[in-house]
Amino acid sequence: MNRWAALLAAGAVASASASTSGAAGPVPVGSPAVAGYQPVGVDEQGLWGEMAEAERALKVSKLLVRDEELTSYLRKVLCRVASADACQTVRILIVRDPQFNAGMTPNGMLLINSGLLLRVRSEAELAAILGHELSHFERRHSLARLKAARSATGWAAFLGAAGAGPLGLALIGNFFSFSQEQEREADLDGLKGMRAAGYRSRSAGDIWANLRAEMDATAAARNVRSRKDKRGMFDTHPATAERLAYLRSSTVDDPEGEAGEAAFRAAISPLWPMLIDDQVKLNDFGGSEYLLAGLATSGWTGPLLYARGELYRYRGQAGDFEKAAGFYREAIAKPDAPAGAWRGLGLALARTGDGAAAKASIDEYLKRNPQASDKAMLAMISGGSQ
Amino acid sequence: MNKLLLGLAFAGLAAPPLSAKWKLLPETMPVAVAKSAMKVMPGQGWNSWSFRPGKKSELWSYDGPVLNQIEFIGGVVDGEPFAKERNKKDKPLPKFNSKMLPTDIAQAYEQTQRIVTRSPDFTIDSMEPVTFAAHPGVKFTFHFTRPDEELTRKGEARGAIIGGKLYMITYTAAALHYFDAHLAQAQAIMDSAKVD
Repeated sequence: MNRWAALLAAGAVASASASTSGAAGPVPVGSPAVAGYQPVGVDEQGLWGEMAEAERALKVSKLLVRDEELTSYLRKVLCRVASADACQTVRILIVRDPQFNAGMTPNGMLLINSGLLLRVRSEAELAAILGHELSHFERRHSLARLKAARSATGWAAFLGAAGAGPLGLALIGNFFSFSQEQEREADLDGLKGMRAAGYRSRSAGDIWANLRAEMDATAAARNVRSRKDKRGMFDTHPATAERLAYLRSSTVDDPEGEAGEAAFRAAISPLWPMLIDDQVKLNDFGGSEYLLAGLATSGWTGPLLYARGELYRYRGQAGDFEKAAGFYREAIAKPDAPAGAWRGLGLALARTGDGAAAKASIDEYLKRNPQASDKAMLAMISGGSQ
Repeated sequence: MNKLLLGLAFAGLAAPPLSAKWKLLPETMPVAVAKSAMKVMPGQGWNSWSFRPGKKSELWSYDGPVLNQIEFIGGVVDGEPFAKERNKKDKPLPKFNSKMLPTDIAQAYEQTQRIVTRSPDFTIDSMEPVTFAAHPGVKFTFHFTRPDEELTRKGEARGAIIGGKLYMITYTAAALHYFDAHLAQAQAIMDSAKVD
């Protein structure tokens, strides 16, 4: 579905009034990212009105990650690359969605998917994304898109195509697709912010290099062609290869700068169990393996080994249960092994036919987690495994 | 019509033919479901949809599928997914295997629902052994929220592997009011399941 069509469906009232008032009128200038900014002209006022309503609904969404410490960390990084005004006016919301994505609404609400936080590897990469999104806001990219789209097809065509639907997170997250020129402009603005803040600007390219490698890994495990150079029908982003190329060439002469890997890890790692679990359950074996290996660059921890065991056990192809059992055992040998490692080991062993060892491991899990929500089922599997 | 369209959005289904109809089921006569060997006693007030969400499934509802629905999955064999696979290349679904443990069935159902409904918060709340269609099986409860709505749904599922094939019945409804309102009826339908 055309994302703008969806937006316009949501903004039907504002749209209708805009069409009767005509496109002429005051043109907003300067950055809207200042305290007390009032939208100018009928289009911007309409967009802001709609978005204010959507924002009220989103703030009570069940699918937001409400973590004050993490949100204030994201804000701290944003404020390093943003003007003092922008730092004050932009609102950051973390959306529980395992896909890599971020978005900015025309009125300054910055949405970050949890799946993006799983993939970004350093504070500098995060700064690149936050600076990029901020640029969309400050340059009013969505307003420009709205005007361009409207003059090309007219309101009626949009409204006719739009239908009706709730203004949920999925729609909001997909509303703001920008033109290739706008994406490029935002990328370059992001780099400027990074340089001014002393961040390692080359990290901006690393994001795309990593995403491309992940797409290759996903495709290889599925035995299909990688999507890294594929664009969807409505995907206006520059292809990742092109993006990677200009980000690399614009930063080749930059000083090294601060990557901030440790700071990023420290801020995100409390959220890892949820982020990894959401990823591992997506049935994307290759991509998940790639991401786990990335998280384990400074060593495989108990939780990471446990997640790897789960990944193999869920796939359940020939040899996977034996490999899963191996990862669970490695996890169990670590001081930070999650209780789930004993559960996973027991269930993997039950599938390999090693009943006695399966029973021992499941019983150990139930000892460690006596309140387990599946204890009756596990007790039966354990009993049947003797 | 609206309810039907919303139902499609909910089930993540392709558009059914215009001829797709809801039919009130007989109250006290066992009916075969999902074109499989599974039969259940409908009880009062349930409607079957002539449009089946997958080759081996069938959908019933009491108040419309947005509010409550029962899905029957009947006779899934090794290598088949738990739901219709719409995008095999980019969104492949987990496949059934007759050697699956009861916990594996719940796990694969969760993964399937996370992929099909894009609900990132899908959670299994409880799991226990149950006798299903006179065979040892699994019962589990769950909840989830789809990102295109702000409605939390609850569900209860029962299933078993019978003769190497998977048979499952899942009851899913809006957590507020509707789940509790028809839970006992849905459980009676699950209790009545027979697989010949």
